[in-house]
Amino acid sequence: MDITAWNWEVMTPEFIILGTATILSLIDLFMPDDRDRRFLGILGLLGVIAAGFYVIKFAGAEPVQIMNDMFRLDSFGTAFKLIFLTGVALLFILSIQYLNRQNQEVQYRGEFFYLVLTALLGMMIMASSADLITLFVGLEVLSVSSYILVGIRKKHLYSNESAFKYVVSGAIATAITLYGMSFIYGITGTTNLYDIAERLASAYQQGFSLMIYLGFFLMLVGLSFKIAVVPYHMWAPDVYQGAPTPVTAFLSVLSKAAGFAIIIRIFLSVFRSIVNYQSDAGSFYVLFQELNLYIAILAAASMIIGNTLALRQTNIKRLMAYSSIAQAGYILVPLVTFWGINFFSQTLFYLVAYLFMTLGAFAVIMVVTTDRGTEDIRSFAGLYHRSPFTAIAMTIFLLSLAGIPITAGFFGKFYIFMSSVLYENYWLAAVMMGTSIISYIYYFGIIRQMYMRPGDTEARLAVPLPAAFVIAVGVLGTVAVGLFPDLVLNYLNQNLQFTDMFARP
Amino acid sequence: MDQMVENAWLIPLFPLAAFVIMVAFGRQLKTTAAYIGILATLASFVLALFTFLERFQEGAETFYQPVHWFSIAGFDVTMGYEVTQLNALMLVIVSLVSMLVHIYSLGYMHGDDRLPVFYQYLALFTFSMLGLVISPNLLQLYIFWELVGVCSFLLVGFYFYKPEARAAAKKAFIVTRIGDVGLFIAIILLFWWTGSFVYNDIFNAVENGVLEPWQITLAAILIFIGAVGKSGQFPLHTWLPDAMEGPTPVSALIHAATMVAAGVYLVAATFDLFAASPTALNVVAYIGGFTAIFAASIGLTQRDIKRVLAYSTVSQLGYMMLALGAAGLIGYAAGIFHLMTHAFFKALLFLAAGSVIHAAHTQNIFEMGGMWKNMKVTGWLFLIGCLAIAGIPPFSGFWSKEEILLSVYHAGRMDLFWIAVLAAFFTAFYMFRLFFVTFTGESNLNHKPEESPVVMTLPMIVLGVLAVVAGFINTPWNPVLGEWLTYGMEGELHVEAPAWISVVTVLFSLAGIGLAWMMYNKKSLSRDWLSGRVPALYQLSYNKYYIDELYDTVFVRPLRGIGIIVNWIDDYVVDGAVRLTGRITDSVAGLGARMQNGQIQTYGLVTVVGLVLLIVGLTVAGGYYK
Repeated sequence: MDITAWNWEVMTPEFIILGTATILSLIDLFMPDDRDRRFLGILGLLGVIAAGFYVIKFAGAEPVQIMNDMFRLDSFGTAFKLIFLTGVALLFILSIQYLNRQNQEVQYRGEFFYLVLTALLGMMIMASSADLITLFVGLEVLSVSSYILVGIRKKHLYSNESAFKYVVSGAIATAITLYGMSFIYGITGTTNLYDIAERLASAYQQGFSLMIYLGFFLMLVGLSFKIAVVPYHMWAPDVYQGAPTPVTAFLSVLSKAAGFAIIIRIFLSVFRSIVNYQSDAGSFYVLFQELNLYIAILAAASMIIGNTLALRQTNIKRLMAYSSIAQAGYILVPLVTFWGINFFSQTLFYLVAYLFMTLGAFAVIMVVTTDRGTEDIRSFAGLYHRSPFTAIAMTIFLLSLAGIPITAGFFGKFYIFMSSVLYENYWLAAVMMGTSIISYIYYFGIIRQMYMRPGDTEARLAVPLPAAFVIAVGVLGTVAVGLFPDLVLNYLNQNLQFTDMFARP
Repeated sequence: MDQMVENAWLIPLFPLAAFVIMVAFGRQLKTTAAYIGILATLASFVLALFTFLERFQEGAETFYQPVHWFSIAGFDVTMGYEVTQLNALMLVIVSLVSMLVHIYSLGYMHGDDRLPVFYQYLALFTFSMLGLVISPNLLQLYIFWELVGVCSFLLVGFYFYKPEARAAAKKAFIVTRIGDVGLFIAIILLFWWTGSFVYNDIFNAVENGVLEPWQITLAAILIFIGAVGKSGQFPLHTWLPDAMEGPTPVSALIHAATMVAAGVYLVAATFDLFAASPTALNVVAYIGGFTAIFAASIGLTQRDIKRVLAYSTVSQLGYMMLALGAAGLIGYAAGIFHLMTHAFFKALLFLAAGSVIHAAHTQNIFEMGGMWKNMKVTGWLFLIGCLAIAGIPPFSGFWSKEEILLSVYHAGRMDLFWIAVLAAFFTAFYMFRLFFVTFTGESNLNHKPEESPVVMTLPMIVLGVLAVVAGFINTPWNPVLGEWLTYGMEGELHVEAPAWISVVTVLFSLAGIGLAWMMYNKKSLSRDWLSGRVPALYQLSYNKYYIDELYDTVFVRPLRGIGIIVNWIDDYVVDGAVRLTGRITDSVAGLGARMQNGQIQTYGLVTVVGLVLLIVGLTVAGGYYK
């Protein structure tokens, strides 16, 4: 085993991020305390862009694996990495403004940037490994970085409180996940996903199904923490509210996308191989005929709980937390229906749409709440008269989140909805439709505030340039993808062969 | 010139650009907003005019430019634009009237704080209406169809501080939505059956016998329901008179010349579908005919100048539907011809009425009187409009109405023919009742009305000229417009009809005018000579056949009853549950204010309970529990 013969080049993006994070932390360490740390964000941004360049360069190539599948570069990982890198780049641009010297809330600006980078590294590992151990390490790198990020406002009570809750909840989730993984390891004796897949299939035939199911449920529940769906969703509102707004955006978009990456990677490569031959109705895939019912129940419960509880919220970040619980419920639907190859494009399309609309919305939220000094929904009152562009942008984001046509969110939801209907899972489609309608109430509630309620002030709202840039990118993405959904779908389908996820090179 | 058609997609984009600019700068624009709107509509009009002229040349083919939009389940959905004879004409009408109304509003809305907002809505409407007309498929049409509905809602409710305006806006939106549902179902069904939203694909499917006769009939009738809602046909006409709560220029543009004509346009644009179903055509013809006479009979007794005009609009739209439904290709040409002339003279009448209201500060005609003395220009223009709508030669309304009557007669539909003639008599009577009461006799006003400024009279003069001359484009001995409109369509366009028809209809109209003159000007006949004898009939007409009350009793009240029950359930059961959930969350959050108090245990507990439930579910459903 000659490690120098391995094709280390495929890990270039990860190395760049790791290197950038290291350099940033060293600079931060040796720099006098009173210096402005914002240029660290720009350095980080450059690192992210460089990593993105290499990810795009490797896109579409044949799958490559090194270190016995511990690192694996395939189309699935590439697509997720592109989402992560785009999101982090936008987040950096947004944060450079938020973390300025006037904002005394966050005094540890240097940490912010390199912790986001280490979290990014964890997410990238989560997207491109085919080994339970490596995947778990990626998950933990992300988690530990996120715990600190949530509590980065050291002297802020809520921030501390939510960081604490996040750590404890996360620890429970980790324990449950690991417990589940231990079942799978115990049955198969390996951590390599492809080996597990083979051995699990035969173990199932030999009557170990209950053990396998236990492992499946434990992992499902444990990983549901990261994507904040039922039953592990309750931390989200508290943590979202207490975290600084850029971190909330990070949790609700990027951390969540990474959660989906690991869930899809593990479930599709491991449990997909199990086939039940003993059924009266002929053989069937257990994951898509039996276990998916439970995923469907979790998805439906998330939609219902997320959308109904959002109705009662007056804090905009709590509201977005419940909204994101519901959104995660929608994104789970393709995993339930697994409608052939379209599964990947449906999920990724929604994640792309979700990235643009949610990051855009958080950019607006950040600007408005910083300006008004409160996170109450009423801080949006009269926004249209204070800054028409911002109000219209926010309207577009909210319409997209609600799934109203000519926005990206509409097509994202539409494709998912169609997959459910075509799979003939009508009850899930009905829940999705019904809860979407409920969601109109709170999304439109914000729109009503912006246009029809008089605000405390009529003063023009100054939107800082970086935030304006992120908002503009969000609007552009949301509308362009909403008008021409095929742009994204064609790119995904032409450049990436998702089925290579199942092929072992 | 050859390139003009290919640039037609720009026509709707000018008002859209204007809208974006106006929204961006908001209210600080003040009257600049008006000039931006006028410039944009002028640009649209010029381009539309050139497009139209190019179409008018020999051998111009339909121009269709689709762009791939998205695919669902293997079907490609396109968007794009199309220029046909029909929509080239519509583009000119819409952009012209819109431009004139933009100019007129500068005077009419002068001094209103929300003038820029008004122009925003107007620009958005113009964009949507032009987009509707230029759409080559039903899906795109539907999007714009809803957009014009939204604009109409916003503009009817423009004076939102008036409760009547709010109620009217709501009513307009809801009643037209009833029709929209029909249209929407039709679109879905047609897509289901033919796999396409594009007009031509659907027509080809009809021609090639892909659709069963019942499918054609059902789809056509559902489309017509959409048209009924938009065009204020019976029984969904009730919103249109109420919509007069909006600013008068809006009534002229949206509720007379353009948007309400969208229903007629829709039937015309999908005429090939209707033509394949005699049943559907009959429905169109009889609903149209009934609406024509029904609305005209309500118009006889109304006292609000704009309401009379609104019922007249409903009635005239019924005329167009009647022509489309009853008389094949000749009727098609006649209906569109009437749509064009009506757009001009009805817009003129509304703008003139606006000018009168502007001066008199009331809409009740019996509070006016004697306006002629002080408002000569408006008076003459109003008179031209009345003569045109009454069908007096050589005004434009005469030619188009004549064309409709001839075509209906030619088609042998005598029942509908006499209905139309009677409606024409009513029309002449109520229009001149309006004219005589408003402009002649003694003034009942406390102040001296003043003529409106040039910025208002000028657009009216343009429309006045058109109301006089527009008819000559399609005379019975030289039907230029009709031949052009039906170019490439199969069917007979030549009309053989006896000359007495023209004589009789003109005599009927003159009789109507004469009766109005005797009752309201010369007063040789008492105003009550008829209403006094049959008060029941008068009350019936004055109260609009109690249709609103009927709907209120039959639909609104029961629905409200259900609403109260549902509301009760909502308040106590649903809200209670939500409140309960909310309270639980709140109390949980309240606990969390102090740190480390076991709240995370709760979270963990929920997770574990969830896990246990899943496993219990599996053991029961999976058969492990025996």
